[in-house]
Amino acid sequence: MVKLAAKCILAGDPAVGKTALAQIFRSDGAHFQKNYTLTTGVDLVVKTVPVPDTGDSVELFIFDSAGKELFSEMLDKLWESPNALCLVYDVSSEQSFNNCSKWLEKARAQVPGSSLPGVLVGNKTDLAGRRVVESAQAQAWALEQGLECLETSVKEMENYEAPFRCVAKQFHQLYQEKVEVFHTLV
Amino acid sequence: MRKVDLCLSSEGAEVILATSSDEKHPPENIIDGNPETFWTTTGMFPQEFIVCFHRLVRIERLVIRSYFVRTLKIEKSTAKEPVDFEQWIERDLVHTEGQLQNEEIMARDDHATYLRFIITSAFDHIAAVYSISAEGVAVSDLS
Repeated sequence: MVKLAAKCILAGDPAVGKTALAQIFRSDGAHFQKNYTLTTGVDLVVKTVPVPDTGDSVELFIFDSAGKELFSEMLDKLWESPNALCLVYDVSSEQSFNNCSKWLEKARAQVPGSSLPGVLVGNKTDLAGRRVVESAQAQAWALEQGLECLETSVKEMENYEAPFRCVAKQFHQLYQEKVEVFHTLV
Repeated sequence: MRKVDLCLSSEGAEVILATSSDEKHPPENIIDGNPETFWTTTGMFPQEFIVCFHRLVRIERLVIRSYFVRTLKIEKSTAKEPVDFEQWIERDLVHTEGQLQNEEIMARDDHATYLRFIITSAFDHIAAVYSISAEGVAVSDLS
């Protein structure tokens, strides 16, 4: 049995629902933030996620930083040495989806030479009538980039745990792979 | 006085603290004398472990076998309890793809009762330490 610890950075444009996602996950669905507040600096959510079919778990340190900081140098400091990425866009905003490649590039630049487990999250599926980013389109891009892909509605409390379970599972997988490498070296 | 590898459980050394531990790869693996077993870090850096010699020793040479370790700091103490550590050695290791890092450090007859190894950064998400050997002599027992 092992308890891993991983720094998971939340990335994506402003107002896509990063903070709402982190907070609803933290509170097990008890709190949906109705009023939008712009995150400045960083919020930290720490939560342990069990890895299915193992006795293992991953303690996630979720760094929720300001979405308006894409080009700021402060983000480089906050994002230092991430272990996982949760990349969020709004299914009703084409631009938030298009910007995902920039966020991904910035996140990957933090870990040159190693892989970064990650999940692409299309939020606000409750805004069905205003959807402009189709699931298939997001899935195709995620596949290309080596990201897992899923959709959520934080407002309807749908699937809000899935992104974090997904990155925990990926990080656990990565750990197992590294241990295999360590065995082969001797 | 007999020159021995002081960093072995068979010589009385003990790992008294480690910041991460997988049951399958515990920190005791570092001092068990088996070159194939290792301790894994299980999360974010820094990560550290403390070796207690249970006596005062004089160290002439240290060899650290590891993988993916980038920056390593070593502190030492000569106190009876694991307190009053002082900065001793700091090394930036080189990544050796596909083979273990084998870092040799010549010490100038430095005395210690405890050594604290701090991995401040790594070349990957997870690092491993296979063994530490400390060549030297036991100076005195702790009374």
